[in-house]
Order: sequence, then C-alpha cells, then structure tokens
Amino acid sequence: MTDTAKKALGLYIHVPFCLRKCHYCDFYSAPSNAAHRAAYVAALCAHLRQKSHTVSGYTVDTVYLGGGTPTVLQTAEIAAILDTVRQCYPLAAEAEITVECNPVTNTEGLFEGLLAAGVNRLSIGLQSTHNNELQALGRLHTYEDFLATYRAARGAGFPNISVDLMLGIPEQTATSLAETLDRMTALAPEHISAYGLRVEEGTRFFDTVSVLSLPDEDAVADMQEQTAVALAAAGYEHYEVSNYARPGYRSRHNLRYWLSSPYLGFGPGAHSYFEGVRFETPRDTTAYLAAVAAADTDFLESEPHPIVGKEAQDEYVMLRMRLFEGLDEGDFRTRFGTSFEKAYGDTTRLEAAGLLTRRDGRIAFTERGMYVSNAILSEWLDFGADGAE
Amino acid sequence: MAISERQKHIRNFSIIAHIDHGKSTLADRLLEATQTVAKRDMEEQVLDNMELEKERGITIKARAVRLSYTAESGEEYVLNLIDTPGHVDFNYEVSRSLNACEGALLVVDATQGIEAQTLANAYLAVDAGLEILPVVNKIDLPSADIEGTRREIEDVIGIPAEDCPAVSAKVGLNIPDVLEHIVTDIPAPEGDENAPLKALIFDSYYDSYLGVVVYVRVVDGAVKSGDTIQLMSTGRTFEVVDVGVMDAFGLSKRAELRAGEVGYITASIKSVGDTRVGDTITLANDPATEALPGFKAVQPMVYAGIYPADGSRYGDLRDALEKLRLNDAALSFEPETSVALGFGYRCGFLGLLHMEIIEERLEREFNLDLITTAPSVIYEIVKRDGEMVRIDNPTNYPDPAEIESAKEPIVKASIITPTDYVGGLMDLCQDRRGDFVDMKYLDQQRVELHYRLPLNEIIYDFFDALKSRSRGYASLDYELEGYCESNLVKLDFLLNGEQVDALSFIVHEEKAYGRARKIAEKLKDNIPRQLFEVPIQAAIGSKIIARETVKAMRKDVLAKCYGGDITRKKKLLEKQKEGKKKMRQLGSVQVSPEAFMAVLKLDDDD
Repeated sequence: MTDTAKKALGLYIHVPFCLRKCHYCDFYSAPSNAAHRAAYVAALCAHLRQKSHTVSGYTVDTVYLGGGTPTVLQTAEIAAILDTVRQCYPLAAEAEITVECNPVTNTEGLFEGLLAAGVNRLSIGLQSTHNNELQALGRLHTYEDFLATYRAARGAGFPNISVDLMLGIPEQTATSLAETLDRMTALAPEHISAYGLRVEEGTRFFDTVSVLSLPDEDAVADMQEQTAVALAAAGYEHYEVSNYARPGYRSRHNLRYWLSSPYLGFGPGAHSYFEGVRFETPRDTTAYLAAVAAADTDFLESEPHPIVGKEAQDEYVMLRMRLFEGLDEGDFRTRFGTSFEKAYGDTTRLEAAGLLTRRDGRIAFTERGMYVSNAILSEWLDFGADGAE
Repeated sequence: MAISERQKHIRNFSIIAHIDHGKSTLADRLLEATQTVAKRDMEEQVLDNMELEKERGITIKARAVRLSYTAESGEEYVLNLIDTPGHVDFNYEVSRSLNACEGALLVVDATQGIEAQTLANAYLAVDAGLEILPVVNKIDLPSADIEGTRREIEDVIGIPAEDCPAVSAKVGLNIPDVLEHIVTDIPAPEGDENAPLKALIFDSYYDSYLGVVVYVRVVDGAVKSGDTIQLMSTGRTFEVVDVGVMDAFGLSKRAELRAGEVGYITASIKSVGDTRVGDTITLANDPATEALPGFKAVQPMVYAGIYPADGSRYGDLRDALEKLRLNDAALSFEPETSVALGFGYRCGFLGLLHMEIIEERLEREFNLDLITTAPSVIYEIVKRDGEMVRIDNPTNYPDPAEIESAKEPIVKASIITPTDYVGGLMDLCQDRRGDFVDMKYLDQQRVELHYRLPLNEIIYDFFDALKSRSRGYASLDYELEGYCESNLVKLDFLLNGEQVDALSFIVHEEKAYGRARKIAEKLKDNIPRQLFEVPIQAAIGSKIIARETVKAMRKDVLAKCYGGDITRKKKLLEKQKEGKKKMRQLGSVQVSPEAFMAVLKLDDDD
C-alpha cells in the first residue's frame, strides 16, 4: 500500500426489526410498523451522511446489513440505504455487499430488487432443515420456506449465498444434523456458518433452560466435529471458529473483525473500530433517532476506547486466533516487540495435547483446540489489567 | 447438717428435655409467671439469646436466671433456673450444670414420649443425686397422651409421675402447678456458710468490659468483692471485682454470694480458658482442702481443617477464631498448612454439632467463606520404636511400616426408636462396625438399642443416616468409652498423579474400598472439565484402589461475535479469568471452593 492509496473500510448497518423474536436471540431487535421503519431508514441515511464528513482517505470495500431482519424493510428502503452509502463514501467496484435475510414465504421481486440495489451476497438464517428443531428455536419459517427462498435467490442470479446453521438445538441429534449437512452440501451454498447455540441471559431460552432438552457438552462437541468433517469432505474450508467457505468465498466483511481492519457501525447496538478506537452506539432505537437528529456524537459514539499497549496485543491474539490460519509469529514480534512465548508462556503442553500447532512461523489452534479456545485464551490474556472495563 | 433460714428459701433446678420438647418455652412461662419478666417485655425464649440458638431451637450454652416466687403458703422463695445445653456434644457441661442443682424438671412431650436425650439427661440427673420432677408438656395438642406419657416415665425411668404437672407451656396452662411442685418437691440446698469457699463453675463467658463472667453455684462458704479467689485445678488467683445474681435482663450486683446461692463472679479474668466448667473456686487465704468432684478438662473429640475460601482472609479467620475462643473453652485451634488449601487452622471440637455451630458462626458473624476438610477423630498410634502418637490430622499419619498398632475411639451409643425401624437401624449399626450390646423395650412401641460404635463412624454421616432410616423418629446419645485396637488405613487421593493432602482421611480397612470409590466418583462429578484429562486415583500407600477420569473439556468457545462486538468477547474472557482466580489449585487441577466442599460433604445414607 502506498501513501496515496486509500485505506479499506467496512460498514455495518444494523436493522433492529424482526417479525418476531427468536427464543435464543439476544441481539437488539423488536417488532415494528411501516412508519417506524421509514423513520429509521431516514435516520440511518442521515447518520451515514453525517459520519462521512469525518471520514476521508478510505474506500469502502465491504457493506453488511445485519439485524434483526434487514429484509423486514422494503426493497426500496434497502436500496435507499445503499444509495446513501454510494453517495457519501467511495465504494470499491468489487465491494462485498451482504444482506442478512430469513426464509420467507413470498419472495416476489425481492431478490431482483436486492440485486438491482447492488447487493451481491446473501446470508440466509436457516439453522436446521428439520421443522421440529426450527419450531424449538421459535423460528417462523419451515425448511420448505427456506428452499423456496434459496431457489428464488439463485434464480434471480445471486452468485454468493451463505447459509447459517445451528448446533446444539433442542431435540437435535447426530442423525438429524447429518441430514441437515447432507442437504446443505447437496445445495452447495458458497459459505456456511455453523454456530453453537448459546443460551444468553435475557432470552426466552435463558428463562426456560432447565426444561429444554439441550444436547450436552459432549454431544455438541461431537456435532462440531461432525460438521467440520462433513463440510471438509464437501470441499469447504473451515477458516474461522464457526465459518466454512468454498475457496474464494470467505466473508470479507467478517474477516476484517478478526484482522483488526477498520469498520464503522450504524444503528443502535452497532460497534465500530476506527482509527484505533472502538466505540458503540447504545441499544435504543428511539434514543438513536433523537441522537441522529441532534447530531449527538457523544451518544452515537459511546464508550470510545483506544486500543493500545498490552490490550492491543491481547486483542490481536484473541482475534487472530479465531482464524484457523492463526497468527504469524514474525508479525506479532514486529508489532509488539516481544516473542509469543515471552508474552504468554510455553505452549508445549498444549501442542502435546493436540490443541495447538506451531509450524511455518505460525501459531494456530487445531480443530479440537479451537472448540476450547476460551479456556486457553483466558489463561493467556488479561483484559482486566489495563482498561478493558 | 443444719441449714440456714436463707437456704431453706432457695431452690436450684434445671430443666432437661429432648430437643423440641419445649424446654425453652417452659422456661419462658416460669419467668413470666414469677413476673421476672413482664409479659409485654418477653422476647420469645429469653434464655436462648444467641441468634443461632433461636434458629436451631436449641440451647448451645448454659444460662442461668433467678426467679422470685411467692408460694401458696405465702412464703417467698428464690428459684434459680439453670438451663442446660440439649445436645450430646455438650454432655459434660450438662453434668456440671446438673451438679449445681438439687432438682431437675424432666420435660417430656406428651405427643412424643421419652427420647434418647431425655433418658441420657435423666440418668445424668439421677447420677448427680437430683430430685427429678417430671413435667408432661404439650397437653394442648390433640395427639397428647398424658396418662401414657406418665406411665412411660414411671416404667422407663422408674420415678413416680402419677401426680406430676401436666402443662402446655405454649398456651400457659398449669404453670403455677409446676412452680408449687418446685418448692415442695425439690430440696433446699445444703452447705455450710462458715466453711471455706467452694463454688462450682458451671458456665462462663467473655464480656469485653467485664472480662470473663463466671457463673457459679456456691456450695460452701461465701464470696464477696475484694476477695482473692483461686481456681483449684490450676492454682491461679484473681481478685474479685463484683459478685451478683442474674435476673432476666442481666447481671445484678450483690454484696456477697453465700452457700446455696447461684450467681456470677467477675475478677478481670482475660480468658474463659482460665475458668473451666466444673472447676472449683475457693479463697486463696482460706482454701478448701479438696475440690468438688467431677472436674475434667474437656478434650475435643473431632478435628477438622478450616481454611478461608479466599486465601487472603487468613488473618480474618484467625481473629474470628480468637474471638470465638474467648467464649468457648472447648474450641481449640492451631495453624496448619495444606498444599491444596493454603493457610488455615486445625480446629478441635466437642463433636459434630459443635463443629457446625463454629462454622456457622464464623460464616455468619464474621462473614467468612470457609473450606472445611472432612472431620477426623483422634487416633492413637503406637510406633515400632514404642513411641505413642495421637493423630488428629490424616496428613500426619505415620508410614504403615512404622506402625506397631493403631487404636480408635469407641463410644457407647444409645438409640431410642419406634420398633418399626429397629431392623434398619441395627443394619446401620452393623454396617458402621457396631458391636451390639443389648436392646430394651421401653414400651410396646419403643425400643432402646445399645451399641458400641467407633466414633469415626458416628462422625461419618451417622446421624443423618439414623434419621433417614427412622423417618426422623430415632434419637441418639453417646459418650466416649475408650480406645480400641483397629485395622486402620490412610486413604489418599491423587489428581493427575499428585496427592491432594486435604482429601486424605483415615478409615477402617474394610470401609476403605467403598469410601474410596464414592469419593472418587464425587471428585469426578465435581471437578470441572479441564483442558487436559484428569485421572483421579484413590490409594492406600502405593496401592491404587479406585480410579476415575475427568474427561478433557471439549467445548468452551464463543461461536459468534455479533456485528464486530469485540468488547463483549473480552468481557467474557475477563469474567472467565476472574472465575479462575477463585479456584483452588489441587496439584495441576483447578477446583472451585464449592466443588471442593461438595466432595467433602457427606451424602445421605448409602
């Protein structure tokens, strides 16, 4: 990169609306009506414009509309948001523009509209191909709805589709998962995410966890391995904890989170990392609308926190190690002026246990190591020490 | 011996009863009826003034109170009520309290009949030569059987009960009848006012202003402020600051205490260790020739290591134990170090209840979180070189090759149970290595069983097992009989091949396998899965007798980082790190204090 070259930037745009809250979801979203949505889109566009005045020297190369359920918005509203992005920010020609969507019953014109708006990647929240499991999760769709949606998207010409699966769903078994994986590999989306279900505080699941028939730790670990094996056999690379891609189709937007590449978030609950500072916008849609109207950057960019020193080093390890390619020891030494051992101690025991590999100047978790990475990272890292309050 | 008019108008008595038979409630009614306490001032159960006692409904330490009573004859009497602790751990204290009296009210619940403690305490009272006055209580309850209970008292204890008071302490029925019987049936105290002073210590407590307040029964002679008193067991002398009596609200100064009276002495004494229950106080310049009989220095019977869950609070634990010892001469402690648990104290207790009370007080009154090791008794080991060692900590158990013989403490246990449960309880005693002594039918429904049992079996969950096998109906009393040679082994536990000292215990060889398996399983269930597999082994010496494995952890990962929310993952890792700081390092294995306690907690009967 030369001095005159522009730096790459990602935009995350949050849509805090859903048709209904799923039982496991603790992300910021709520039901809405048309007027709410129109007002919200107007605010988002205003916010995008406001922020663009302070951003120079960057080219946007990924845009991600997440939620919530962004497709709760009218296609025209999504187009308006992306138009605003184009007007205010230099957008790379080959930019990855993703929209999350749920399987829907009526896809009439939807995907054609999204393509026309410039969207080139879809992320569909399927979770499972078994309707009993979908019901247990509180999802509104069926597998059949998903198939119709997927085919409509392909039919419309979407070249890059990601499908979300979930592991550890109540009632899920190795057999039912095998079937889900078979169906997926047959369908062959470019990208598959497979997240372990986490029962978070503040969700319906959290309140009912004692009566849920959740698979236990070993069963979920088996499912993770089963997924990795099945998807590898079908030609997918396991490149991040929960993400698989056919060659050339890694999520460029999500990768920037792990590579500490800058991104700006818009909407309540969105997070940003820009010019070495992390900040976030509080999870309150009404307050968000007011803050945009008042150009209240103190609210929109709450809890600004520069990432420096030991915290930057620990964060680098935490984020890079989410990737199966791990971290480059030489790069680590250049950035932080110390060796990995000096910073985090001897790793031979972890290597001997088959949890960690060190080869070609890189340190990386193995499949097994990745699934217990929190236990290892919490030994190494100390975010209580300097400022990560 | 002629006694004075003053003595003729004194009655000293105790109330003995099984737990829950209404002793404290009856005491309250007596206080109320004699206007010692006005009804509106009555706090429920004045005598039990420790919070813990109120919650458990038992009296832990003896108290005494003086009542003034005008009898039907019109004469004025001083009634000294000396309360007694109601649990087997405090047998010795009970016996000393009884020795301060001439009579005892034996309270029996008309719905329950006689229980093991009723009987044990009644025998103590008989041994002390007391006049026993039965009181049938709870006659307000529909299931009360007054006549049956009276008959049982006559049959089982062999004292007349035909005309004994039948009361309801709860609703205040027939209380004057009890007071009148106290005056007519219980003898006045004997004792020579002019003889050298002999005063029996039956209780004492530490007060931060007064120093130790000693509760005494003056047997002979008199004591007043300014006297120099001498403790006959130690020879130590103190100058009396004050003497007086105890009314329901506290200490009330008097010019002197004379033969037959019950009261207190303060003498700037710094530690209750100097005023042991059962010791005799005399005057230094005119000493009695011999002490009152029956004194013994109480010895702890049960030992356990107590550690702060948070190692940095070791100093607080020491301060708390020192404060408790000010008031509890039976509590002993000395520093010990465990590789697993760090710095703590080896504490000695009279029994399991005493231990539980101390633990609860440490946690409640001093806000400490504790880790307590499994309780142990004292073993007597004779080594091949002839040396005898007393072992109260399994860690100090000698190498088996050095042991000539090992002895363990044996108790005489008495169990009273409805006949329905005799079979199950005999199985239990058998299983706990008991020797059957005899069995007596108390009546058609109830039986008294006598067994000789090793104390280490009693402290291993015996009481809970007894209760669960008798649906709560059986009662237990025991006293130390002596030491008996036994085939003992030390059981060690290894995690990851490293011995964890705090888990070792001494056990009879034939019990070793079962206990080893059970604890190994509990360790497996309570040790959180670690990054690496953790082998658990139970060993006698170098021989492994049980093994389990804690499988390696397989899933601990944050699958999703929503929308670039990095802070959230940091917080999660931070929380995890904080959690680990509280962990105890058992060898290379991290275990939370809660998990450690769960392993040591004795389960129900199995």
